[in-house]
Amino acid sequence: MANATIASPTATTISGRRYGSVSRDRRWALRWSYFFLVLFAIFFLTPPVYMFITSLKTSAEISAESNPWWVYSPTLANYIELLTQNTYLTFFRNSAIVAVLTVIITMAISVIAAFALARMKFWGSATLATGVFLTYLVPETLLFIPLFKMFAWFNETFDIQLMNHWWTLIILYPTLTVPFCTWIMIGYFASIPKELDEAALIDGATWIQTLTKIFIPVALPGIIAATIFCFTVAWAQFLYPLAFTTSTTELVLPVGIVTTLIKGDVFNWGQIMTGALLGAAPPLIIYAFLMDYYIAGLTAGATKG
Amino acid sequence: MADIAARGPVAIAGGRSSLHKLMQRKSTIAFLMALPLILLILTLVAYPAGYAVYLAMLNKGMTKFVGFGNFDFLFGRETFWMVVYQSCLFAITAVIFKAIIGFVVAHFVHNIPSKGQRKWRGMLLVPWVIPPAMSTLAWLWLFDPSYSAFNWILAGFGIDRIPWTGETGWARFSVILVNVWIGAPFFMIMYLAALKSVPEQLYEAASIDGATWWQRIWYVTLPMMRNIIAITALFSLIVTFANFDIVRVLTKGDPLNTTHVFATWAFRVGIESGDIPLGASVSLFMVPILAVAATFILRDITKRGSEV
Amino acid sequence: MVSRKVSRRRFVASTAAASTALVAAPFVRGAYAAGKLSLGLWDHWVPGANKATEDVIKAWADKEKVEVTLDFITSQGNKLLLTTAAEAQAKSGHDILAFSTWLPARYSEQLVSMNDVVEPLIKQNGAVNGTVEYLGKVGGKWLAVPATVGSQMKGPCSRIDLMKQLAGIDVQAMYPAGSPPKADAWTLDAFLKAAEACQKGGHAFGIGLGTTSDSVDTAGAIFHSFGAVLVDAKGDITVKNDKVRQALEYYKKLIAFLPEDAPAWDDASNNKWLVSGKGALIMNPPSAWAVAKRDAPKVAEQCWTHGFPSGPAGRFGPFLPFFWGTWSFSKNQSAAKSLLTAMSQPEAAEKMVIASGGYDLPSFEKLTTFKTWAEESPPKGTLYHYPNPHNHQTLSIAAAPAPHKIAEQIYTQGIQTQMAVRFAKGETMDKTLDWAAKEIEGFMRN
Repeated sequence: MANATIASPTATTISGRRYGSVSRDRRWALRWSYFFLVLFAIFFLTPPVYMFITSLKTSAEISAESNPWWVYSPTLANYIELLTQNTYLTFFRNSAIVAVLTVIITMAISVIAAFALARMKFWGSATLATGVFLTYLVPETLLFIPLFKMFAWFNETFDIQLMNHWWTLIILYPTLTVPFCTWIMIGYFASIPKELDEAALIDGATWIQTLTKIFIPVALPGIIAATIFCFTVAWAQFLYPLAFTTSTTELVLPVGIVTTLIKGDVFNWGQIMTGALLGAAPPLIIYAFLMDYYIAGLTAGATKG
Repeated sequence: MADIAARGPVAIAGGRSSLHKLMQRKSTIAFLMALPLILLILTLVAYPAGYAVYLAMLNKGMTKFVGFGNFDFLFGRETFWMVVYQSCLFAITAVIFKAIIGFVVAHFVHNIPSKGQRKWRGMLLVPWVIPPAMSTLAWLWLFDPSYSAFNWILAGFGIDRIPWTGETGWARFSVILVNVWIGAPFFMIMYLAALKSVPEQLYEAASIDGATWWQRIWYVTLPMMRNIIAITALFSLIVTFANFDIVRVLTKGDPLNTTHVFATWAFRVGIESGDIPLGASVSLFMVPILAVAATFILRDITKRGSEV
Repeated sequence: MVSRKVSRRRFVASTAAASTALVAAPFVRGAYAAGKLSLGLWDHWVPGANKATEDVIKAWADKEKVEVTLDFITSQGNKLLLTTAAEAQAKSGHDILAFSTWLPARYSEQLVSMNDVVEPLIKQNGAVNGTVEYLGKVGGKWLAVPATVGSQMKGPCSRIDLMKQLAGIDVQAMYPAGSPPKADAWTLDAFLKAAEACQKGGHAFGIGLGTTSDSVDTAGAIFHSFGAVLVDAKGDITVKNDKVRQALEYYKKLIAFLPEDAPAWDDASNNKWLVSGKGALIMNPPSAWAVAKRDAPKVAEQCWTHGFPSGPAGRFGPFLPFFWGTWSFSKNQSAAKSLLTAMSQPEAAEKMVIASGGYDLPSFEKLTTFKTWAEESPPKGTLYHYPNPHNHQTLSIAAAPAPHKIAEQIYTQGIQTQMAVRFAKGETMDKTLDWAAKEIEGFMRN
């Protein structure tokens, strides 16, 4: 399965060429495909486009009873204001650090653990693999109050305050990312032929060497997919930062935008939309570059799980 | 970890005679390698989850142990059953539509020449990439009672303004719509990858047998994609069931609590109304439902997996 | 820890707009044990309004040589509520925290008694209204100090022109700036007639029927106007009585004239209704008017904030106070109390009121006649009646006088608005009352 997926780009090129040259039947199918794709693209892109339109408006124009789909007096004021505001840049920086560190920690934990669970089998490893999946079923809405209590105990015992610090999120986010990433990686590792590591072991490689020299390179698409997944989750998380951080110096982007640009019953729509668009940019860029790996990696891992 | 790596070669040096020893060592190494994962899950998921179970068995003031009293109480509440109903309706409908739209779109993308595919894929993936808390705000603004840009368009066609979030039917439609919008691209990507892994020969064989395009989808594509469809649906079901942001931002459960799902109602009861144990009980209630769904789907996948 | 503080200070120095500020004295040698105090205050929606509070606090900090950290926390998305819950559960957090309406009572066991702060303040600034006392004082103990910042009235804000044209009501004549109201004819019946006329004229009243506070506050005041009480002070359920029935019958008639999506309105919906020019009246503090002043000046010029219509049981206006409280686990309670006293002085309160453009309402009687309210414009005097200067209406909160823990749930779950919507949608009276009684029974849990 994994091989088939990895090899798929070639397969498509071949079939694509064939599709292009066939009968009128196919050409009609192609036209219909484009037609529906355009329809779906409109559905998928309307909100972001509307966000963009709104981000170019002044607050007076947003409040006006004019055509909401048109900008009569475009302005970059919202962008300028946000990008020169230190609070917003702080959110951006916090988000970036939290997301990157979460990715590193998650990948370290889950790749190593997935290798152990997929290849090395120890007492209880099967149970653990299922357990990892089950943690995915525990909603975070259930966890944050017990976590408050645990943090209180931690503060009393070690005198280290975990509340209201952005780095606390680096401890918390892996709980959301590690189960899925481990699970994907178990699936991916399982699809690697056994002969490969057996040969390596017989040649005298250690388990660690087998992992770093053989498994990681072969499973790279899976690792990249898991990394992207992890980054997306860490970048978009909302409830944990909302519950655990308060000061403007500690907030991350989505929560920062919602809590500083909406005040009481007054919404600052232009800036909210601007902030949201700017906040969506990093994951968009990552996807644009790494999409192929993402697709290949996710499917191979998930089907084998 | 470096310690283990250093000791590794020694074990190998012992040669084949110490293979047994190596195997013994193997399980220890493996356990150590999985240890960070185990610790993370135990301290930050399992323990708090257990604590939440304990919380769910306390009285409102958190002073007395009441066992299953909170659940007993919930089962007698009309609102609770409405939340159960709405959560299921929300999650199941949304997942079905995500799956259908994802499949259809993936099919069309797969149909067009591969040169253009990247571009379309990229465009269609946008909803999934924007943090949901942000994009839901955009929808809130599109649905706004006074400024709805959708209603503005409808007005252009002479259609009355629609109470997007104001009336039970429409409000349920709206929250599901937004969820589908956010989630469908993920299905599209997964299905697209699965479509690409279906061997071309199968289609050719089917064409030779005179199969229509519908038969090709039904007898070739769908069976080949079975696993990926199930697994994507399962993960999406879990996430959709536990959804908080969308309902919270769009309707806050209004009108008349008819759009509340487990997470938002738990929040309303636990945090806003100050009954933490009851809130924990509500959140807890979605775990068994999800576990049942997960068992069925996973079992089905393993069964199919061994058949193929 | 030390290095973090340095970088924070540098951060603050580089930005004037930062809402987290370290108002610090470099040498800590004050009279107060720890010499440090952290505050979590409500993030004001009025640009620059936080500044006034900051100044008051800074002046105190300089005098007392205490290092103060300030966080301004928005109430949006329940951020403030979550922060409060987090601090209560984690038993650590700000030394002074802003507590919204019901929270002092909810956390009564975890809050320091403020009797020694509030009682002198009452002597100095005059009595507080009944609602503030009901919410802030439990069992003879003041749980928190009534705050100026964030406390608000949610009376009607009407369009002068539309009310005149469509309903024939001159709100300025009824509530003339600078003098007592002549509003005897401003009854719930008149209100209903006006609602009908404005709806027919295409400018319906923008009153929400959701479960967020604006909607609930209006319902609360209307219920009070009929003397309709769901749970009495002893904690007995009194849902099934004629006054509640009257209130529901009235609401049913009113709902016919409200926008059809009102059942899902949140606290921002009514503001937009007014600012967009769609509505002739909303129930809101002057934030909607202030936004209109910025974005839709023509609408703002026609806004007039005034009193609530009266019902059979009297005239009730919704009042939503904020409090400042101190956790019992706070390490610096004496400093906190000293600061709270400083923040409640008339001059401090006036500064805050001015900075908020008249939005903030001190809870003390002698502090309701600052010049700001009379002078704010356009139109001049639009806020004169906002702080209830003539004690024309009884300031009330929905679900009072029920015991707090029950009342809080009635309020946050919007039981009154839900009853009104259910009944208006065609449910029978008995069924609606049964439903409410059953819901409220569920709130009796201890």
